[in-house]
Amino acid sequence: MKDYLKRQLGLFSEDERELISDLNVMIAGAGGLGTNQAIQLQRIGINKIYLYDYDQVEVSNLNRQLCYGREDIGRYKVEASLEFLQSFNLETEIIPKQEKITEKTEIPADIDIIFDALDNFETRFILEDLAAKNNLALIHAGVEGFFAQLMLILPESKTSLKDIFAGAQKGDVPDVFSPAVTITAAFQVIEAVKYLLDRKEALENEILHIDMINNEIDRIRL
Amino acid sequence: MSVKVKFYSLFKINLKSSGKEYQIDGEITVTDLISMLDDDYDGYFSHKLLDAGEIAPGSIILINGENVIHIDGLDSKIKDGDTITLFPPSAGG
Repeated sequence: MKDYLKRQLGLFSEDERELISDLNVMIAGAGGLGTNQAIQLQRIGINKIYLYDYDQVEVSNLNRQLCYGREDIGRYKVEASLEFLQSFNLETEIIPKQEKITEKTEIPADIDIIFDALDNFETRFILEDLAAKNNLALIHAGVEGFFAQLMLILPESKTSLKDIFAGAQKGDVPDVFSPAVTITAAFQVIEAVKYLLDRKEALENEILHIDMINNEIDRIRL
Repeated sequence: MSVKVKFYSLFKINLKSSGKEYQIDGEITVTDLISMLDDDYDGYFSHKLLDAGEIAPGSIILINGENVIHIDGLDSKIKDGDTITLFPPSAGG
């Protein structure tokens, strides 16, 4: 066991701890959700993160994208993220992939789950197809203002993102607020871990809707 | 004979309501339901859910968890016992 994980020792059985420390994941997007996911996944001590993003850091990213500061503006996100995450000298391997998610994206062969950290439904639908083709689970989330929704899509799921969110894309750029993004990404990590540990409470054929104004979390059955 | 309509996100905040239950006779369509909601909420839903007579981009209408886009759009049938979920999904990240 990694020496810095002592304070989460009691939460998991020995087998579960081993499973977490062996996990490899793909994070699609190194923006608000992706940087938060990477930070959390590193802290819980997983084995490897493939971090995908083709873009460079802009000033408008700094309100929520936790791996970057002003000095990173203009740098490729995956490069700046790598440097930030490696500065903590923890053991999770970070593999930067400076590329856009397209139908042709090659999904790493050794991953256990894909994290949706995208900011539009069009690319999410492509990511969903890639996950299905590679027989992998996808943990989706979208966040806007004080609201978010999550969905776990499994290769065998009857309901896809496309089934639910067809027509969901608006033309405007959504407002995003850092604490809400952090909460959403943290939920994705928790839900992914529950699924991968085969916990019966994992999301199944439902939308988890988070309303941070009314402090309400709903499970919308599908 | 009743159907449950549930509001989430901004719909819930704007309307200060988490939903509404309607008694129906036989089947109604999504268009009928929007019209009933409009009567109760001052035209709010046709403004939010419709754009030039079609389902507006950025709003989701689910009947028992199925997006009506994949059923029969605004002509999709709603029957006794159905649950209709209305919300603007969050796209950002």
